[in-house]
Amino acid sequence: MKQGMKNDCAKWHDPLLEAALTGTVADDLQQHLSACAACTEQFLALQSRRQRLEALLPLVAQGAEPSPDFRARVLAAAEAAAQPRGARPSPWLAWGFAAVAVLAVAALITTYALRSGSSQPMPQAELANAQKLAQWRAPSDIFLDTPGSDLLRSTPKLGESYLHVPAKTDKEKQP
Amino acid sequence: MNTLMARSDAQERTAGFSARVAENQRRVFHIAYGILGNWADAEEVSQEAFLQAFRKFPSLREAEKFRAWVNRIAFRLALNRQRGLRRRLVRDDSWHAAGPGDSVDGATQAEQRLLLERLRQEIETLPEKLRQVLQLSIVEDMDASDVAQVLDIPPGTVRSRLHAARKLLLEVMK
Repeated sequence: MKQGMKNDCAKWHDPLLEAALTGTVADDLQQHLSACAACTEQFLALQSRRQRLEALLPLVAQGAEPSPDFRARVLAAAEAAAQPRGARPSPWLAWGFAAVAVLAVAALITTYALRSGSSQPMPQAELANAQKLAQWRAPSDIFLDTPGSDLLRSTPKLGESYLHVPAKTDKEKQP
Repeated sequence: MNTLMARSDAQERTAGFSARVAENQRRVFHIAYGILGNWADAEEVSQEAFLQAFRKFPSLREAEKFRAWVNRIAFRLALNRQRGLRRRLVRDDSWHAAGPGDSVDGATQAEQRLLLERLRQEIETLPEKLRQVLQLSIVEDMDASDVAQVLDIPPGTVRSRLHAARKLLLEVMK
């Protein structure tokens, strides 16, 4: 093909696309097609391509269908979304219940504390027992009153000097 | 008494919503599927679109209003998900589960599947404005005014963009 012919065909590229898309061939293009085998061939190829495209395009979106239970699932999800909202108390109501519960517990604790802390008269028997317990002495307390107790008191403690311990002569010791 | 009335309102609402889902589910699913090309993602997006519609149902009781709203929300949800998935875009082969592909033999079906996959890829490379119009226009039951409502552009613009998109595809789909 000559260079001039190539250039001439190139200018028909867009009209060919338009004609293939719309199905309408303008008069000047028709004249060119009747004289140009290459453009006619290209036009036929474009028409075939357009038909294939028209068949394929819907499949891009409609190549699959929603599942048969789609509507049921949507309705179940919608009901699930709506159900808790209806059954759930409002936040203010919930806070109100919480406050009442706290107050009730506080009242119970206070009542119990007041009851246990109140000064009721102690029974006589219990009082006597308490006095006995206060007067009780351990059996070893008796050693504190023995003569040896003086010795215990005069013996230096750990770390003390004997010099400070008052020594008694035999005469002094004798009554 | 009030409880009974509330229950009756809820039942009426559910019944009305159920009817709207039945009318719109196929189209909404196809809007999502056309963008995502994946059955599971398309179902999830469609379900989310209807759930959002349910929350707004008191103001969407009119059929036309519901239709326009749910189309738009499904489209936006699908676009959002597509952005998230773009890096790991997984397309499944469930497209042949329905439609004309069922009637052709195995070899033709395989060839058609390859062509369809290529067509999807070519659509992805279209300029965004043309791609969006095309993705909505190929959905059955979506005319130029429906697409115009979703994209908030005049119907004339929809037609011209659709023509431009088809022309580009015709050129590249050799």
